[in-house]
Amino acid sequence: MSQAETLTTTPQATADLKSIETSQTFFQIVYSQFKEHKAAVVGAYLILFFVLVAVFAPAIEWATGTDSDSQNVFNRYKPPFSKIVASQDVRENQIQTFIQANPTDAAAIQQQLLEKNLVQPIRPEDALYDWVNLEKSKAISVIQSLDTSKKDQLVKMVNNFQSFHLFGTDELGRDVLMRLVYGTRVSIGVGILVALASAVIGLIIGSLAGYYGGVIDTILMRLTDSLLSLPTLPVLVVIAAIDLKKVLGGLVEFANSWFGATAGNFTQEIVNSIFSGGKESIYKLVFILCLFSWMTVARLIRGAILSLREREFILASKTLGATDFTIIVRHMFPNVIAPLLVSVTLGVGDSILFEAALSYLGLGIQPPMPSWGNMLFNAQELIYQAPFLAILPGVLIFLVVVSFNFLGDGLQDAIDPKTVRR
Amino acid sequence: MTTYILRRLVQTLMVIVILSYVCFSLMTLMPGDPVELMISANPKITQEDVVRLRAFYGLDQPTYVRYFNWVGEIAKGDLGYSRTYRIPVTEMMGPSLKATFVLSMGSLIFSILIGVPLGIYCALKPNSKMDYVVNMFNFGGISLPSFFLGIVLIIIFSVGLGWLPAGGYQTTGMHYDSWFAEMLDKAKYLILPILSLSVQSIGRFSRFARSAMVEAMRNDFIRTARAKGMSEKVVIWKHGFRNALIPLITIVAISFSSVFSGALITESLFAYPGVGRLIYTSIIGNDFNVAMISFIISIAMVLVMNLVADLLYGAADPRISYK
Amino acid sequence: MKNLTGLLVVAMLVAACTKKDAGQTADVQAQGGAKLTNNELKIGISQEFENFNPLISSMLATTYMQRMVNRTLVTIDADGKWVPQLAKAIPSIEAGTAKVIKVGGKEKIQATWELLDNAVWGDGTPITCDDFSLAVKIASSPNVGVGEKEVYTQVEKIELVDKNPKKCLFTYEKAKWDFYMLGTFYPVPKQLEEAVFKKYGSQKEGYEKNSIYSKEPTNVGLFNGPYVISELQLGDHVTFVPNPKFYGTQPHIKKIIVKLIPNTGTLEANLRSGTIDLISTLGLALDQALAFEKKIKSENLGYQVLFQPSTVYEHIDLNLDNPFLKDVRVRKALNFAINKEDLVNALFEGKQQPAIHSVTPRDPWFTADPAKVTVYKYNKREAERLLDEAGWKPGADGIRVKDGKRLSFTVMTTAGNKTRELVQVYLQNQWKQVGIEVNAKNEPARVFFGETTKKRAFDSMALFAWVSSPENTPKSTFSSKNIPTAKNGWSGQNYMGWSNAAVDKTLDALDTEMKHEKRIEMVHEVLKAYTDEVPVLPLYYRSDVAVIPTQLKGYRLTGHQFPETNVVENWNLE
Repeated sequence: MSQAETLTTTPQATADLKSIETSQTFFQIVYSQFKEHKAAVVGAYLILFFVLVAVFAPAIEWATGTDSDSQNVFNRYKPPFSKIVASQDVRENQIQTFIQANPTDAAAIQQQLLEKNLVQPIRPEDALYDWVNLEKSKAISVIQSLDTSKKDQLVKMVNNFQSFHLFGTDELGRDVLMRLVYGTRVSIGVGILVALASAVIGLIIGSLAGYYGGVIDTILMRLTDSLLSLPTLPVLVVIAAIDLKKVLGGLVEFANSWFGATAGNFTQEIVNSIFSGGKESIYKLVFILCLFSWMTVARLIRGAILSLREREFILASKTLGATDFTIIVRHMFPNVIAPLLVSVTLGVGDSILFEAALSYLGLGIQPPMPSWGNMLFNAQELIYQAPFLAILPGVLIFLVVVSFNFLGDGLQDAIDPKTVRR
Repeated sequence: MTTYILRRLVQTLMVIVILSYVCFSLMTLMPGDPVELMISANPKITQEDVVRLRAFYGLDQPTYVRYFNWVGEIAKGDLGYSRTYRIPVTEMMGPSLKATFVLSMGSLIFSILIGVPLGIYCALKPNSKMDYVVNMFNFGGISLPSFFLGIVLIIIFSVGLGWLPAGGYQTTGMHYDSWFAEMLDKAKYLILPILSLSVQSIGRFSRFARSAMVEAMRNDFIRTARAKGMSEKVVIWKHGFRNALIPLITIVAISFSSVFSGALITESLFAYPGVGRLIYTSIIGNDFNVAMISFIISIAMVLVMNLVADLLYGAADPRISYK
Repeated sequence: MKNLTGLLVVAMLVAACTKKDAGQTADVQAQGGAKLTNNELKIGISQEFENFNPLISSMLATTYMQRMVNRTLVTIDADGKWVPQLAKAIPSIEAGTAKVIKVGGKEKIQATWELLDNAVWGDGTPITCDDFSLAVKIASSPNVGVGEKEVYTQVEKIELVDKNPKKCLFTYEKAKWDFYMLGTFYPVPKQLEEAVFKKYGSQKEGYEKNSIYSKEPTNVGLFNGPYVISELQLGDHVTFVPNPKFYGTQPHIKKIIVKLIPNTGTLEANLRSGTIDLISTLGLALDQALAFEKKIKSENLGYQVLFQPSTVYEHIDLNLDNPFLKDVRVRKALNFAINKEDLVNALFEGKQQPAIHSVTPRDPWFTADPAKVTVYKYNKREAERLLDEAGWKPGADGIRVKDGKRLSFTVMTTAGNKTRELVQVYLQNQWKQVGIEVNAKNEPARVFFGETTKKRAFDSMALFAWVSSPENTPKSTFSSKNIPTAKNGWSGQNYMGWSNAAVDKTLDALDTEMKHEKRIEMVHEVLKAYTDEVPVLPLYYRSDVAVIPTQLKGYRLTGHQFPETNVVENWNLE
C-alpha cells in the first residue's frame, strides 16, 4: 500500500485509495449486509426484548407489584383485563404485618371484635385474621363500628385488596402475565444454554473428526449417525427414571477420593445448589436436549473443516511446524465461526420447540416453575374455556422461534459472500 | 466406489447391531419386568417363586445373554409376541405400520408437491413480493409447535365448520360398498393430520428447494447457456433444475427415513392408530418385543436412508469422490 | 414482519370466531338433525385397552368393556351393594348356604353357589361349574401371567352338589368373612379354552398366546354378557352387538362402538363434531368436565355432565424413614396446614369431597365422627404452633430451620396428570405459608409406580390414589408386614413404612370376623390410629365423571370398580 501511495497521483486513483483505506472489516460488512434483511433485524430486536424481559423478570415483578407465585384459587381462569379480590394468603400476611407493627392496637381491636361477637374464630388470637377474610363491605362496616385510631388504615387496607391482571389468571388464579415473564426466563434460557452447549460439543467432535479423518472420523461420525437415528422418546422415558441426585452423588465421591476433601466439598456444594429450589428438572432438560442436538453442528463443522484442511494457509502453517492444536484453534475455528453462529441461532428455536413438545409428554419443566411449553400444554385441555391461556404462550413461542430463525437466516445471508438476497 | 459402498454398508450394519444392543439394555434398565408385574399382582408369591419365574423367563441372565437369545429368535424369523395384546408382533405392527406409512407418505408427497415448486418459483424471482410472503410462511410453519397447530386445526375444521372428522382413521363400523368409497372415507380422516404434519415440512422443502435452485442458477454454465441463446425455459429446467435436483433428492431420501417411525404427537392428537403411538404405549406398558422391533425399524430406516443420501450425492456430483 | 403480525391477527380472529361458530353448530345438532337412535352409540375412552381374556387383562379400559360381554358370580350395583349376577343368590352362613369347616386344624369356608338355570355362553353352551374350575386351573398355572391371581387361587376346589352342573360347592382356602366377594372371578368357556390349555399350558405364556381370546377375539362362544364383540381393532376401537343368546333382558341399543381417543384435550372436540356420542368415565379430567358443564348450560347443548363420588382416595404417603417426618408433630402440622375445604371448593367446585382417612363415604365402614377418628380442620396457626414446638424456627427466607437444616421436602407424583399437578402446586403454596419448603418432582406413571413407590424410593412424599371397593380391608396398605423391602421382593403396599403392632393385630382379626358390627368397630379402631399418627396425608375422595347425551336413559355411574357398563342392557336412547 505504501508503494501505491508514492506511485499514484491521479484523482481516480486517489478515490480508489480512499475506498481501500475506508474498507470495512469483516464484521462491518456482515453488519451492513444484515441490516438489509428487514425480518432478521426485527427478529433481533424482538429477541433483545425478550432477553431483557427474562433478565429483568424480578424487576418487572417488583414494579408491577404482582407476585408470580401468588395463588388465588377462587379466581381461576379470569379473562384478560380482570380485576379480582386478593387471595386469603395476601390478606392474612398483611394483617400479620399490621399486628406486628401495632401490637397494642391490634389487641384492642381483637378484644372488641370478640366482645361484640362480630367474628367467631376457633382461637381468640385469630379474630383479626377472621375479620380480614370477611367480604369487603362487611369488613369495612365491622371496622367502622369499632373504636380504634387505626380505623382509616385498616379500611384502606381492605380497599386495596384488589389486583389487576392484564392477561387474566391461570388454573390456580396466578397472574398470567407474570407467569409468562418468568416463563421467558426458562424457555429462552434453556434454548440459549442448549444451543451454546451443543455448539461446543459439536465444534469439538466435528473438528476432531474433520481434521484427523481416518478411524477417528469414522468412529465419531458413526456415533453421530447413531445418536441421530436413535428414537428420542424411549431414551427420554429412561432418562426420566434416572435419579440425577444419585449420579451426582457418585461424582462427589469421585471428587473426594481423587482430588481431596476440598474438591469434594466444592462439588457437593454445586450439587446442592443444583437441587435447591426444585431446579432439577431444568438441568435434566438441558442435558437431554444437548444429548439430542449437537449432532447437526458436528456434521456441519466436520464438513467445513474437511474443506479447510486442503487450503493453502493450513498447509503453510503445517509446514511452519504449527501443532495440531494451534492449527485447529487458531486457524480453523475463526473460519467456522460464521456457520456455527448460524446454527446456534437456529438451534435456539429448535430447543424451545423441543422443550414445549417434551412438556406435552409430561417430561418437560416441572411445576410450579413456568415455561412457555408447560403453560401451553396445561392450557390445551381447556382451549375452549380459556383460549387466551393457550394462545398467549403459543404466540410467544411462535414469535421467538420465528425471530431466531429469521436472525439465523439473516446472519447466513450476511456472512455467506455468495448470497445476493434482498 | 464399490469398496466404499461395501464399507459403509458394513459400518451401517454394525451401527444397527450396536444400537439395537443399546436399546435392548435401555429397555431392561427400565423399571418393571414381567416378573415384577406378576409379583405386584399376586401378594402370595414367595421368594422361591420369584427365583423360579425369573429363571423361567430368562430374566436371571445378564443383559448380553438375553440379547443374544433375542437376536437368535429374530434370526429364526420369530419376532415374538406382544405382551400387552398377546398377539404376534407382526400381526400387531402390520396395520400400524401401514397406517403410519400412509400418513407419512401422504404428508411427504404433499409437502414436496407444494414446497418444491414454491421454492423454485421464489428462487427464480428472488426478492419479489411472492418470495417474501412464501418466506414468511415457511418460517411460520417451521416455528409452530405441532400440537398447538393440531388443536387449532381441529377446532376450526371439525368443531367450528364441521367439515372434517376430529380423529380416527375411518368411520367406525362402516361397511364399504366399494374400494373407492373406502378410500374416500379414509381420505377424509387423513386431511387434518397430513395438513398438520405438512405445514412444517412444506417450509423445510421450500426453503431447501429455493437455496438449491439459487445455487444452481449461479453456476457458470447457466451463464454460458444463456449466452448461447438458449431459451429461458431450457436454461431453467434443463440446466438449473437438474442441478438443483441433486441436493433435493438427498433431502427427500433423508425425509423418507421417517415414514415408518410415526409422529407420536400428531397421531395421538388425531387418534390415529399409527406406529408412533404404538411405540409409546409399548414402552410405557413394557411391551418389550413391540418396542424393540419398532426401534430397529426406525433406526435402520434412518441409517440406510442416510447412506442412500450420501451415495446419491456422490453419484450425482462428480466433484465428490469417495476414497 | 408486517405480514407476520397480520397473519397472527387473522389467526386470533379465526380462533375467536370459531368459538362462536362452535356453539352454533352444536346447537343445531342438539336441536334437530342427527338425533341419536338405538341403532348406534359411540363411546369415547382415553385409555389403551388390551386382550379381552378376563384372566389376563388388567387395564381399566378393558375392565370397562369386559362388563358388557362377560358376567361374574356377583357384582356391586350402583348403590354399592353386593348382588348376584350369574348366581341365583349370594351364599351366607345365616342362610345356611355357607359354613365354616375345619380341615387339618385350619379353618376354611365352604359355600354353595347356584348358577342361573338359563345362563349360557354366546354359542348356546350352558355355563356350568366346570367353567369356573377351568378358570381356577388356568389361573393357578405358573406358566400363565394372571393379573389378579389371588381372586382365583383363594378358591381351593370346586365340586358339584347333587351332581348338578349348575350347583357348585366352593371350598375357600381361608375362613374369611369376605369370601363371597368374587366380583372379578370370571368363568372361562370350557368348550373353547380347555383344549387350548391342555395343548399349550405347559409352555411359558403358551396359553395366553394361543387362547381363543387372542386368536379369534370375536368368537361368540367367549362371551356371556348382554353383548358380544363383533369387531376388535387393538389401539383403535371395539364394536359390540347384542348377544342373541343372552339370558337376561335384551339390550336396547343395536350397536355400541367404544373408540380410543388418546388425547383428552381433543375428547370434547370429538364429542362435538359427532365422532363420539358419549365420554366415558375413562375420559375427561375434572377441570375439563367442570368447564364443559358450564358451556352446556350457557349454550344449551344436548349433553349432561354426570359426577359421581367414587371409592378413589387421593392422598400423600409420607415416608416415615425421613428424619424430619419421624416427628409426629411435623406430620400433624403438614396436615393442619392444608386447607382441604378450599381445595375442593375452589379447584373442584365442590364436586369432590375432602378426605378424612382412607375409607370413602361410599363405604359402609365410613365415619367422620370426631369421637371415633381424629379430624384435622385447616388451622394454619395450629400448624405453626406444632412446628415451633418441634423446634423448627422460621429462618431468614421464611423457611423453618432446625440445627442448620431447612424444613424441606419433595412431593412426587405422576407427571402429566394435570389435576394432581394442580393440587401439588396448591399444597406447595399452603405449606410455604407455614414455613415448609416443598419441591415438586414428577415422574412418568410407569416409573413412579414401577420403581419409586414400589421400592419406597421417594424421599418424603408421594401423591397418588388408592382405588378400593366398599368394605375392602386396608391390610395391604396398613399392616407392617406389607412394608416393601428387598427381602420380601418389594411386595406389599405400605409405602409409608408405617408400623403399629395394635393395628397389625386388629387387621389380622378383621379377616375372620364374621359379624358386620364388630368389623365396623375394628375398622374404626384402625382408622383412629391412622388419623392419630398421620402416616398419610388424606386429600380428597375423587369423583367419576362422564358426559352423556341428554336423551340417554338408564345410564348410571357407579363410582366403584364395577363400572356403569355392568347394566348396559338398561341403556336406552329412545
